[in-house]
Amino acid sequence: MITVDKLIFEYPGLRALDNVSFRMDQGSITALVGPNGAGKTTLLRCMAALERPVSGTITIEEIDVLEQPRDCHRIIGYLSDFFGLYQRLTVRQCLHFVARAQGIDDSDCPAAIAAVCRRLNIEDRLEMRPGELSRGLRQRVAIAQAIIHKPSLVLLDEPASGLDPEARHELAELFLDLQRQGMTLLVSSHILAELEAYCTDMLVLRNGRLVEQITVKKARQHKPFKLLLAQPVQNLAEILKQIPDIELLKTEHDQLALIQLTADTQQQHAVLKALLALNLPVCEFAPAASNLQDAYLQTIRQRP
Amino acid sequence: MNLNPEFQRQLYLECSQARLIGIPLVLGVIFTFSYFIDGYRLGGATAKAALILFLLITLLWGARQAVDSIVEEYRDRTWDTQRLSALGPWEMVWAKLFGSTLMAWYAGLLCLLVYGSAIDDYAALPMLIFYGVCAALLVQSGSLLLGLLAVRRGQTKSGSIFLLAVIGFLSIAPWLSEVSSLTAYALPDSTTAWYEIRFSSSAFHQISLLLALFWCAVGNYRLMTLELGMRTTPSVWLGFSVFLMIYVGGFMPSSAYSFWLAAFAVCSALTYVGVVVESNDAMRIKRLLTYFVQRNWRRGSEELPIWWLSFLLLLPAALVLSVSVHPLREFSLRFHFYPLAIVLILLRDCGIYIYFCYGKNPQRALSLTLLSGVLLYGILPGIFNAMGQNGLAALFFPLWADSAGGALLCALAQSGWVMGMLYRRWQAST
Repeated sequence: MITVDKLIFEYPGLRALDNVSFRMDQGSITALVGPNGAGKTTLLRCMAALERPVSGTITIEEIDVLEQPRDCHRIIGYLSDFFGLYQRLTVRQCLHFVARAQGIDDSDCPAAIAAVCRRLNIEDRLEMRPGELSRGLRQRVAIAQAIIHKPSLVLLDEPASGLDPEARHELAELFLDLQRQGMTLLVSSHILAELEAYCTDMLVLRNGRLVEQITVKKARQHKPFKLLLAQPVQNLAEILKQIPDIELLKTEHDQLALIQLTADTQQQHAVLKALLALNLPVCEFAPAASNLQDAYLQTIRQRP
Repeated sequence: MNLNPEFQRQLYLECSQARLIGIPLVLGVIFTFSYFIDGYRLGGATAKAALILFLLITLLWGARQAVDSIVEEYRDRTWDTQRLSALGPWEMVWAKLFGSTLMAWYAGLLCLLVYGSAIDDYAALPMLIFYGVCAALLVQSGSLLLGLLAVRRGQTKSGSIFLLAVIGFLSIAPWLSEVSSLTAYALPDSTTAWYEIRFSSSAFHQISLLLALFWCAVGNYRLMTLELGMRTTPSVWLGFSVFLMIYVGGFMPSSAYSFWLAAFAVCSALTYVGVVVESNDAMRIKRLLTYFVQRNWRRGSEELPIWWLSFLLLLPAALVLSVSVHPLREFSLRFHFYPLAIVLILLRDCGIYIYFCYGKNPQRALSLTLLSGVLLYGILPGIFNAMGQNGLAALFFPLWADSAGGALLCALAQSGWVMGMLYRRWQAST
């Protein structure tokens, strides 16, 4: 469990984090989103004990980050948005250094390097120097450095920037793989469509304040469905409320409705049957195209 | 083998095959040339060349390497990776200090070997090696310290830091070559008096050098501790201030007044040094006040700026000196010494520097403060003095006032005005 409580961080003349409080469950993948300057990087750096806030507490696995920063460093991996790699070392030497610096025994380093390289598909680049690699490959090396010691919490600041679509897909697969191994991930990104593929929760920051914490996984268990009728039906909302197991979100002009259903296909079939049994002129019944981006934009618009 | 990973990384970087072969080759060419100058033997010219090269390599190259071992990390954005590692501060300090300078020591060792083969009298050799190695370690360790300070201030250019290392080199090199010119028979049997105890001068120098090395290492440890995010109180600075007061006080003529005068001078100097070397962050004072309001004294003390400590130590010294009889009063009637006024002037100067630090161009704070100093200490009181307005001159330079009370009032007015301005700027910054 990760807990951030009443965190305040200030730069001269600017409150970058204003009373930020939230909780993250073990094994979750949380998207940290918000406009530029919202305080995402500052929050990640505070959680990595790289910055000292004015007040507040951060607890990671019962370690008070601000009191015991070195203990926290052993259980976290951090990928900075402007990460640096040792240009004069080979990829193998970079990874060996980080593995050793994170306390992995010298004899265990080759296995740790091989495992992380296999996972990030960079086994054939081990003897190259970072300067000889593409932006995407350098990003993968940096991620490898962040996770080589198998931290329980991984903080990633814009991990997908500069990656091609295929590499982004691989990155999503990697995050899900890390989650399956019990790691907790907090990923800051602007590319919401890509976050949707793997994140379970979303934190929305704006002007240093936590606007909303959304549980995406729960939302996925309950899908919004769009119901479109061939012609308007009077009191559509009242009619739909008669059908069990659905939650009416909204209706428009007695012709269009947005309803919430479970992800169970049998139940979806039963609802469609019930709609037809009510003699409703159904011409469209399909999952609504709602995604993280919609949720984010809705939150940002609703809560200035 | 579980070698210190940072030291191993430095080995990867420094110990390339090209360097391992290239350094002896280049030195070989130079010493072959000096061998010809000496008339086909290893003689005086070779010994001199070897010693100069040893100094150049271990002091200058070593200092540059030590500075870069930390500033380069910051510049290349790899410093966060190191800060997040499981390495302790001491492991990090020694690995950077000895790892980055490994090749300088390799070349220096070759020079010393040649020097040893070129001299006839070996009596002074152990002392020369001791001074040479300790002086190089001191300059390299001092350079690492400067590098760490630069990183804490967000400075990524190592040129100005290296300049300070060069000054260190220039102050040590002549002294070292003097030692090398002495033979065991010619060594002067001089003594040094410290608190009326007479020590052999060479033994005293050696102990002083080792103490300087010790404090440099402690300083590096403390700064690295801060960089790694560990919480620590500025007790090292307090200890260093007290040590320096006692050390310098030992050289003064034996009297209570002399001791307090030394303490006053040391604390004044350390206050200036402390305010300049540390990063003056407005938010730090806000954190400090927040902790004090919460009665969290431990956390509050961790945020204390080091110059505050030297300034606090300065106060008792100033009070004691103020109530003591000034022994130099009879020598010159024009010379006034008002310790409490000096304390306030010092506070004014620190206030001016921090005022500029809280401004939009904190990197220009030092030059702007120096400019203010020229105006306040020289030009303005000089103009009024030339006009015969001594009262007005004393307003800017209170030591020209005719009475301690007048000097104190002038200094109080200035420091109060500067502190008021500083407070307003601090409020605007936070």
